[in-house]
Amino acid sequence: MRRYETIYILRPTLSEEEITAVIDNANTIIATDGGQVISLDQWGMKTLAYLIQKETQGYYVYCDYATSPANVSEMERKFRIDESVMKYMTVKLEDSIDSDGIAAARGEYEAAVIAAAEAEEEASRQEAEQAETKEAAPKKEATDKESVQ
Amino acid sequence: MPPKKRIFQRKRVCRFCTDKEVTIDYKDPKTLRNFVTERGKIIPRRIYGTCASHQRQLCEAIKRARQIALLPYSGTTQR
Repeated sequence: MRRYETIYILRPTLSEEEITAVIDNANTIIATDGGQVISLDQWGMKTLAYLIQKETQGYYVYCDYATSPANVSEMERKFRIDESVMKYMTVKLEDSIDSDGIAAARGEYEAAVIAAAEAEEEASRQEAEQAETKEAAPKKEATDKESVQ
Repeated sequence: MPPKKRIFQRKRVCRFCTDKEVTIDYKDPKTLRNFVTERGKIIPRRIYGTCASHQRQLCEAIKRARQIALLPYSGTTQR
């Protein structure tokens, strides 16, 4: 078992069902012979840095997984056939990974997700506080003006 | 014998060596964008003083980002 990560770009015209169908297909190929998905991130619609098949936008999907090399080549073969996948790239992260390693990687990913959510919450709270202070400030000014008059 | 030319040089330190928080990752085009020109070329390390090993990693990351359309091969992005 090796650990890989793959990014694939789907056509922007696809419906949600078609997107999930492509992702499911990829995941079933990964899962054959005991492969496991560690994390799956849908980055969503992004502007491409250059045109790919005359499209300016693409739907990015990022997948981190552990599987055998044969499964990867099979998945890439399917991607090449599939019209809805515009581009894909696979990077090998680790030469060998066991079930403990997979569990650890998954735990790391979940911790990262929780941390990101907390950071977002913190940011929104700070924004709200800033908005409150801003609201409070003009009122003061208004009262000052009144007193001048 | 002509006098030796003195070229002004400031000591530059590798950004990735000094700041451990900055990581090189091809999935993070925002950071990588600092190390390419407006036209999308990789900036040589004599400009920024990145150390050799980090420059190699950076180079690899930029090339990967280009492959998956996060960075342009050439020209500016329409954004």
